[in-house]
Amino acid sequence: MDESTLIARVRAGDSAAERTLYDAHVDRVYRLAFRLAGDDALAQDFTQETFIRAFDRLGSFRGEAAFSTWLHTITTTVVLNGLRKVKRLRQRETDIDDAQAIGVRKRESEPDLKMRLTKAIDELPEGYRTVFVMHDVEGYTHEEIGAALGVETGTSKAQLSRARAKLRVALADFAGEWTT
Amino acid sequence: MTDQHEDPKFDAWLKDVARTTYHAPRTTPREEMWARIAAERQRRAGRVIELRPWMRWAVAAAAVLVLGIGIGRWTVRQQPRGTTTVTPLAAVSDSSRDLAYQVAATQYLSRTEAFLTSFRADAHTSASGARFATQARDLLTTTQLMLDSPAGSDPHLRALLEDLELVLVQISELNGGAHDTDLITQGMNQSNVLPKLRSAIPAGPGPVRTQGVL
Repeated sequence: MDESTLIARVRAGDSAAERTLYDAHVDRVYRLAFRLAGDDALAQDFTQETFIRAFDRLGSFRGEAAFSTWLHTITTTVVLNGLRKVKRLRQRETDIDDAQAIGVRKRESEPDLKMRLTKAIDELPEGYRTVFVMHDVEGYTHEEIGAALGVETGTSKAQLSRARAKLRVALADFAGEWTT
Repeated sequence: MTDQHEDPKFDAWLKDVARTTYHAPRTTPREEMWARIAAERQRRAGRVIELRPWMRWAVAAAAVLVLGIGIGRWTVRQQPRGTTTVTPLAAVSDSSRDLAYQVAATQYLSRTEAFLTSFRADAHTSASGARFATQARDLLTTTQLMLDSPAGSDPHLRALLEDLELVLVQISELNGGAHDTDLITQGMNQSNVLPKLRSAIPAGPGPVRTQGVL
């Protein structure tokens, strides 16, 4: 069954078709949500919300773009908005923790590559990080990223280039790893 | 476009390391998430009655038909006595269809006023929470139909309907907590919902105001 037929059946209220559509796309949605959130519970919440919105709004999907593109637009909106809320909440908690920890801070030990890489990517500006994760980590094309984020393909390419440049500086201590 | 920072070796290394180490996801918990999606959709569907677009128009058309019959019968009954005329206070349109919607709006607003007045007075009694929640759900459905009907094209009426929708959603979710009731009542007072509602209701004859057409 092709996807347009499947979507028509979902619109008509066929729950088996809903499940088929979910099965066809859930891996990619969950993976992207997990990569961006870095937390399984959040990734599941975001995936759940993405599919609920997609099923509710399927009537507005006109089929001008691929269904996956439309779905990834919802995914990135849900994830990025959700992460902003989480970030604000965590920032408040961190401020309280910092206030309580004054005077007991100790020097951090040298983190390994994985920790440094994770920290460096997490600290990228939101736009750079989203494009980097979508392109370099999850393998989306610039066209898919542009459509999902509502930006030009050139903007996506430029943000990826800047993200890589920042990461190269942040990971300069590990230069031996890629020059050999 | 070649960027000054471009370094193919670094890019390839970075891609490889990031794919294997950066927030590497576990196997997708398909069944677990599907169960949660189904449960959440069911919960939301129970909270707000979602009508498909064609159903909304069908319900609206049926409402107009019922209204037309209702108005006709009422007019025939009232005319011989020569005591009453129907005068909607909201902006009067020449088309009978708009008139029908305005009459429907008036009756809906009257019912909602009676309901909210009663809610504010009696909501604290322990047994009334469930009853109010049920009535609020009924009115909520009508509110949403009104918002989608030509009656919702009047900006003042629309703003009022949106305020009412918010209050009715809150009441429909009541689970009997006195604190929740206080918050809803406080919100109603702050937004002046009842005074706005009363000023929007025409001072027409009683039977028109209280007949439940919708």
